[in-house]
Parts: sequence; C-alpha cells; structure tokens
Amino acid sequence: MRVRKCINQYLWLLYHLPFRVGKPFFLGNGILPQKSATRGGGKQPKRLFARGLPPGCGPLDFSWLRQVVRSALKTFLVFRPAAISLLTAILLVSAGCGPGDDKITVYRIPKETQPTAPQESVADNSGAAPDVHWKAPSAWEEQPATGFRKGSFLVRGANGETADVSVISFPATAGGLLANVNRWRDQLKLAPISNEAEAGTPTKVDGHDMFFVDLVSEQPMSASGSKSRILGGIFPISGATWFFKMAGPDELVGSQRETFQAFLQSVQVAEGSAIPAPMSANIGGNNTNAPTPPPLEAPKSASLGYSLPAGWKEKPLSPMRLASFSAASPNGKEADVSVVSLPATAGGDLANVNRWRGQVKLPPIDEDTLAKSAQRIQANGHDYLMVDLVSDAPIDEQQGKQRILAAILDENGQAWFIKMTGEEATVDAQKSAFVDFLHGLKIP
Amino acid sequence: MSSISQSSPFRTLASLRLTVVCLGFGMVLVFLGTLAQVNLGIHAVQARYFQSVFIFWSPPGAHWRIPILPGGYVLGTVLLLNLLAAHATRFQFSRKKVGIILLHFGVILLLVGQLLTGLFARETQMRIDEGQTLGYSEAPREIELAVIDGSDPNFDQVVSIPERLLARGGTIQNQTLPFTLRVRQFLPNSRLEMRSQDQQAPPSLATNGVGTSIIVSEIPRTVKDDERDMSAAFVEINSAQGSLGTWLVSNAVSESQPFTVNNHTYNLIMRQRRYYKQFALTLLHFAHDRYAGTDIPKNFSSRVHLTDLERGENREVLISMNDPLRYRGFTFYQAGFDKNDKTTILQVVRNPAMLLPYIACGLVALGLIIQFSMHLFGFVKKRNQ
Repeated sequence: MRVRKCINQYLWLLYHLPFRVGKPFFLGNGILPQKSATRGGGKQPKRLFARGLPPGCGPLDFSWLRQVVRSALKTFLVFRPAAISLLTAILLVSAGCGPGDDKITVYRIPKETQPTAPQESVADNSGAAPDVHWKAPSAWEEQPATGFRKGSFLVRGANGETADVSVISFPATAGGLLANVNRWRDQLKLAPISNEAEAGTPTKVDGHDMFFVDLVSEQPMSASGSKSRILGGIFPISGATWFFKMAGPDELVGSQRETFQAFLQSVQVAEGSAIPAPMSANIGGNNTNAPTPPPLEAPKSASLGYSLPAGWKEKPLSPMRLASFSAASPNGKEADVSVVSLPATAGGDLANVNRWRGQVKLPPIDEDTLAKSAQRIQANGHDYLMVDLVSDAPIDEQQGKQRILAAILDENGQAWFIKMTGEEATVDAQKSAFVDFLHGLKIP
Repeated sequence: MSSISQSSPFRTLASLRLTVVCLGFGMVLVFLGTLAQVNLGIHAVQARYFQSVFIFWSPPGAHWRIPILPGGYVLGTVLLLNLLAAHATRFQFSRKKVGIILLHFGVILLLVGQLLTGLFARETQMRIDEGQTLGYSEAPREIELAVIDGSDPNFDQVVSIPERLLARGGTIQNQTLPFTLRVRQFLPNSRLEMRSQDQQAPPSLATNGVGTSIIVSEIPRTVKDDERDMSAAFVEINSAQGSLGTWLVSNAVSESQPFTVNNHTYNLIMRQRRYYKQFALTLLHFAHDRYAGTDIPKNFSSRVHLTDLERGENREVLISMNDPLRYRGFTFYQAGFDKNDKTTILQVVRNPAMLLPYIACGLVALGLIIQFSMHLFGFVKKRNQ
C-alpha cells in the first residue's frame, strides 16, 4: 500500500514537473499556500514582491521542492531496510581511501634515465659516503664496504681476538635513539631501557650532537667465555642517522675505547649537510610552513652607520654579520673585517677573547691578564675594549702568522664585536684604518 | 503525505533533539580524537575517528572489537539527513526566513563538501632536485610494490601493487605479468639490519637479492607526524616453471632488484606510491631568502619549468609560499626543502571539492548578514516609531 502511494507520488512529480517548467514552474499562482497564509492570523493572504514583480509572475513557490524532498524521504522510509543497507555500504566503501585503492595499476612511462631515489640510499654499495668523512686509526684493517656498510674495519687483539667496526647510515631516524640502543642491548642480552637519558652520553663532534654508547654484556657471550662489549656513536644528521659501532670481546673492545673515541672525534660532516636534524626527522626535508621564530634579531644593519677606510670593500653579508668587509693591504693580501652584534654580553669578554686566542693557537688567559693586556679606546662616544692577538707560529703553511684585532663594546644589553682577521703583516698595515673605522662607526 | 511527515521515525529524524545529540557526540569525538593523537598520531586519528563509520574498541589482548562511538562519517550523514528532514517538515518560504534558509543551505554544502573532500581529495608530494625533471608525485604515507618491465627500448611498463593488496597477503597476479607474486610476509613497519651484525639471527625467508644478507624485524607503526614507516615484504615469484625464489622488498632499500622470466628482465622495487601526471616539472632554482644578517627565513620559492606535451604548455612558473601553481586540477604548494637548499618539496593537492567550502562559508556569512540586518532594521524602525 505504502509502496503504491510512493510510486504515485513520483508519477505525480514526473507528470507535473515538465508542465511547470514550461511556465516558470517555480512561480505559483500569486498566493502563498493556505497554510502559511492562515498562520499570519487570518489576515489577507500575504503577497511576496507585491510591488515590482514582472507582470504575469506570481510570488515564489517552493512547494515543489518540499514535494521532492518529501518523496525522497518517503522512499527512504518505505524501503528502510534496503536504503539503510545501501547507505551503510556507501559509508563502508568510503571508509577506505577512495575508489580504486585496491586495484593493481599498469602504466607505461618514458624510460627513466636515472633511478630517482628521494631517500638516502641505504643499500648503496658505493662505500664512501658523500657527506660524512672519518679518519680510521692505522692499526685497524679496512674491510670492503658491503651492503648497508659505508665503512668497515677489523681490529685485531693480542691473542687473535677480533672486533668489528662498522659505519652505517640509515635514512632518517631509523627508529630513534632509544630503539637503536635497545637493539644493541638486546644483542648483548641486556634488558631494554626506557629512559632516553640513560641511552647514551651526548657529546659534540664537529659541531653536531653525537650520542656515545658503551655497553658490556652481563654474561659471557662467546665460546671462549668472555663477555661482549659494544661501543657506539650515533649521529643524527640532516635526514639521516649514522651509526659507528665497535663490537667484540670485552677486553679487546675495552682496550680500544680511547682509540674508538678518537675515531669518533675524527668524523667530519661536509659543509652543506650541516643542518642537525632532530632524532625524529624521518620524513626528511625541512618544512617551510613551520612556525618562524620571532625576528628577535631583525636586521639592524639599516641603522648601522660607518665610513669605509681606503682599500676596504664591502662583502656580502652572511648570517650573524651586520657588516662585512675585506681590507686589502699593499702586498695584495686581504684581511677580513666583521661587525657582529649579540644580545647581552654573549658569554662575557673573557670567553670571547679566549675563543679568539684559540683561533690563533694561543693558550687561554684569565681575567687579570686580559685586563693588563687589553687596551681601552674611546671612539665616537663609545668605550671599546681592544685586543690584539698574534699567533706564535704560522698556523697555515702557506701563510704567515695570524693576527686578530678586535674591539668589544657592551652597551644597553647588547654586545658588539668588530673584528679583523688576517695575516700578521696585513693586519698590521690595516691597524690604523681599523681604528679610523671605529671612530666613524655609529652604533644605534 | 502528512502521515509520513508525522510518522514517528520521521519526526525523530527531523527533531532538534537529534541535532543536539549529534553535536554532543561530535564534541566527544573531537575531544577523544585530540587525546588519542598522543598515542596514535594525527594521521591514524583522522582515519580512525573522523574518516570512519564507527570507533572500535577491543579489550586488551582480544582479537574482536566492538563499536563504541559513531565515527565522523556517521555523524556527518545523520546531521545532514537531520537538517534535510527538518527543512522538509518545517520548510516555509517567507521573506523573513531568507537568511536562515541561506545559512542552512551553506551548512548542508559544507557537510557535503567535507564528505567529498574526505573521499576524493589526495595529497602527495614532489621532491625535485635542482635540474631534475619529475613527472610524478609520491604519497608520503603510502607504499607500492612496482614490477618494472624495462625490455622495451622506448618505455618502461610498470605494474603497481598497492599496500592494501600486499597487506592482505596471498597470491597476486596480473594479466600483463607471466608470473604470480605470493606475499609470504608483510611488515607495515620494520627495522632492517645487516646479518653480519648478528650471526645468531634466524634464517631469512629471502633466497635471492639483497634480502639474504639482511635481518628484518617488525616494529610498531610510527605515530609521529614527521616519520614514515619502513615497510618490508617477502615476495615469492612463481612462473610456469615453478618458484624462482623469494625476494625481500622494502622502501628502505632504494635499489630495484632484477630477475628474469622468459628472457625478460623485470625489476622489483618497493617505494612510496607514485602518481604519474600528464606533465612534468623541472626545478630550475630553489631560493631560501633570509633577513639580512640573520638566519631567519624570509621567503621560500621554487622556480620551475612546466612542460606539458599534450597541451603544448612550456613555461616557467614561480611557486612561493602563498602563491601556489594551479594546473590541471592540481595545486602545487611550496612545502619544504632539503639537501642544503638544493631540493624543493612541493605539496601536490588534488581536491575536486575544493571550491565547496568557500561557497558554503560565503552562503553562511550572507545568511547571517541578512538575518541580523533584518532584525537590526526592524528594531531601528520600531524605535523610530
């Protein structure tokens, strides 16, 4: 009965709609349906657009829309079981990731000239890695790098024991620090740990974070009854993780501890891939939509005023530098001049002077010696602390002694460093120009 | 007719009570989904909580699961039906209600648009090195097993097997391949190590290729937003002559592994799923501008060359952070960079329902403006009288 009623409804619509389309079907007879008219409190039927409607057109009548929706709902109710199962089926299908997801696709593509691998190649047999370099102790026997290994060495002990040294790189984090340390612990039959702080000793190598791990098994692991030991260094570097590992009998590996640490210290990351990645940068790459830190050090160079001494040339700015120059001396060699500003005192004058002393291979000094050796100069209303450091011997074979001439200014919570670096003779020739530059320097 | 609109299921469907219940469930869903992100990660939560029919719970250790909450698809559909039914019973057109009708139509459009986006939108990535030309994008969280027949000198024929088929296991065959692949084991996320590191490890399933010297162990799928799974599978290849052996494939192994059937060499590789396009992009230059004297990024942009032989497009385009390239239904956003500014990462979005939310929000705004200004004008008029 209901089904028949429903079919009738559709037939009614099918029959009426074309006619209604013929005359503008959405325009009715000029009077709203009785129901709404009476709701107005028995007043005269309301007219929509009583003024301004084209002749021949009545007000808008959407009862046909109501009819359509009602019929659809009615069908839904009448065929409830069928409709519900259909709806569920649609939802279930759509719960997947879209149509055609389970299908095998076959397509033809132009020959690809080279395999474009977005990740770091793990099974790369090329041996030497492009970005990371190391220096192995001469006593270690180099083995051919195979499979995952970027480097492989054999260490021989006194009584014929051997330890194995491997260098492996995995794309991204390879599971993270903890998982890898637990993997090594598992190899030594040690219980896993859950605290990342216990996993390794963080140190710095070539400016990068490195985790040093030293693990000894509790029970004997080999046939000869000796315990096993693993020394490891884990480097998370720019989208890849490098593992340096020595594994073998406890005594032998223990005796090699210093050598292995020196080996880790010899690791160098080539310029370019020097963005240290967090342990979990598995996707690789950097997100340009990541929130930008607030520009605390917004360009200050705009307000920096100076006059260039003769022979000085402006150089392109690099990070940190507010101004950068090259000062050429008559012998054709150039000294580098930089102006850097850091918040607060940036570690204190002594720390900075000792850092520079380290650059010219001079031993560090204490506060008193600094106070005695440094001079103060007044320039343009500022009080600079000036240090002049000359290396004891040539640092580079091609060059003479190195010299650093620097002026430090602490003012209003900001430290300013004006520094000239170069060969001794060049800096000597430019010293008066450097002082002139300080006199002309306007610090905001 | 009136009997239908007065029937009790219909009235329930059209009732405001149902709306409130749905919105209440929605709030619970959003709250629980937010909490669950701690353990599951955003992508799993989206799939399990919002793009699902029911949220299932299984007691610890049990293999069966019970639905405990309606998922996003159910709530969205019920809300949509509720709104439609409410209009069907209470719909009366009058000038006073134009605003409300527009507003509701906007909400309906928003719901439908979201459903269509969930069903048909696809986000992939393109990583292009400077000077490299790429004709495909990759799904960062989806893998495929590609069997590549490179015997034709002009083109490669690729048979791409999606992750779901691999996860299902069993035998996979395709009419273009003279052999079948049997998935002996599939690991959604795995850890690979060299066999030489651990001599006591159980023997590998793999008999050929690189897999013989690798130990594979299963680890839980990653939940972190910036990590991806390293899937692995052991695949046995069976031709008419019998088994050719078992290979280990993993997206952690970037080289393809060759094998020969009927004097044809095929290459087997598991990789991020690729979507080839009818056009190609070449990265001319990636620029990473910084504020002078600092390391603070100012702008990222990629100058690319667009080549489309089919449509004769051959031009340069600059894609920068808020200025994407829109071409053939795809939108290319600047999303990232790598390899010391020598590689650009473009987010490639294809969403046929992209315009619907804009239209819907416009309608809602228009409806609200009409509704409120009608009230305001009425009020002002009354006061002036």
